Amino acid sequence: MLGKLMKYEWQSTWKLLVPMNLLIVVMTIFACVTVRVDIFDTNNSAVVFSAVMIIMTYVASMFVVMVGTAIYLVYRFYTSTYGDQGYLLHTLPVDKHHIIIAKVIVSAAWVLLSSFLMYTSVLFLFASEGDLFGEFFEGMESIVEGAGNNKINLFAVMITLVALIVGMLARVLKVTACISLGQLSPNHKLLTAFAFYFGIYIVQQIVNGVYYVLLGYVNRRLSTYYYGRSWEYTLIAGLLYCVIFYLVTWYMMDKKLNLD
Amino acid sequence: MEPIVQCMGLTKTYGGKIALNQIYLNLERGRIIGLLGPNGSGKTTLIKIMNGLLQPTAGDILIGGLKPGVETKYRISYLPERTYLPPGMKVMEMVQYFQDFYPDFRVDRAYDMLARLQIQPYERLKNLSKGTKEKVQLILVMSRDADLYVLDEPIAGVDPASRDYILHTIVQNYNRNATILLSTHLISDVENILDEVVFIRYGSIILQAGAEQIRRNEGKSVDRFFREVFAC
Repeated sequence: MLGKLMKYEWQSTWKLLVPMNLLIVVMTIFACVTVRVDIFDTNNSAVVFSAVMIIMTYVASMFVVMVGTAIYLVYRFYTSTYGDQGYLLHTLPVDKHHIIIAKVIVSAAWVLLSSFLMYTSVLFLFASEGDLFGEFFEGMESIVEGAGNNKINLFAVMITLVALIVGMLARVLKVTACISLGQLSPNHKLLTAFAFYFGIYIVQQIVNGVYYVLLGYVNRRLSTYYYGRSWEYTLIAGLLYCVIFYLVTWYMMDKKLNLD
Repeated sequence: MEPIVQCMGLTKTYGGKIALNQIYLNLERGRIIGLLGPNGSGKTTLIKIMNGLLQPTAGDILIGGLKPGVETKYRISYLPERTYLPPGMKVMEMVQYFQDFYPDFRVDRAYDMLARLQIQPYERLKNLSKGTKEKVQLILVMSRDADLYVLDEPIAGVDPASRDYILHTIVQNYNRNATILLSTHLISDVENILDEVVFIRYGSIILQAGAEQIRRNEGKSVDRFFREVFAC
């Protein structure tokens, strides 16, 4: 049943999200051509204006795709799970775990695809001609170093990617958990979901702060200079958040379902 | 044979408001049962609990001896009172959807009913009128060989001319060993097909009796009797 749920989840989302992702590809081509042919060197103000408009449209399209994908996936989860379509979904003879897994995997796949396309798009735009792969590895190196690994190696790359994916899954599950918690309110479900989201955000910031304060305290006591590698914290915290948000979503969907 | 539905002290409250109050109810197999009551009497709440869409505050409900869950959803074919089909899908895609998830779904029966109601399988649901969408939902629900059909206001949104055909569709297409629980306030339209009626008011069952028994004992139609019982 999980495969069938994923198939229909994919079919319901691709009609909007494939064109949105194609927009990234098309705008990248326009932007790359604009930058490469030195349009800005011309004295023709109409050409320069067009070039500026293309670059602005490129930036705007990136923003629209990034925000649009997130808003659509949240809307899709809400309407298909707790809206009228929830009557269809929750009367299917399927386990609630399968419903959550199908929705989270498909949503995460779309976020990953959009993120990959945006990263590649920026890479293409700023890469000096003929050195695309050099730019790619420089970009990867900066991500890995930014994530706290001093030297780039296969393990560092893999663990960083895993940490990023787990962190992204945690963010998707945080949204599903908050929307599900919103069902506790009889009349203001969406407002309650937003309140939970910001409440959890504040708690997460406090947890982050406590972690680094504790680390500083331990370093002072032991005279060490260990500040932790970001991927370790991202990975462990991400996994922990994934488990918590998944269980909250499951509990609300299985034990506290309250369709209007 | 055990009843298809057993409610034992079933209670549901919303905050301080009681929606269902200590309901004890058995529904036997092979019957067409009308769940009748005015608006806000608890009909839909009871139906949602049967389908696992709401959790009871107290008491138990068993469907074929099982608590609502994955197994009972294989046995219940449920028509909610609202339009629940994804608007972007075509009618034929919904037929495929039901076929994928319900092993007891009969594709030929669905296409036969669609043809008789002149509903095109390649039409997108968003292009159909509200009444036609409700007919599609009813066709999908009645194309299953379920043990229990739970139909919440199946004729409320369709024109009077179509009601007879829909009721005919319900009676013709259900599994004879199955039970149909039909919630409605349009009693005169459904009276002729009912074997049994359950009257519900303020979340309590006030009467469970055979339709013929009511007509014989009270000397009036179920519709007339209902109007007297629930007179404001």
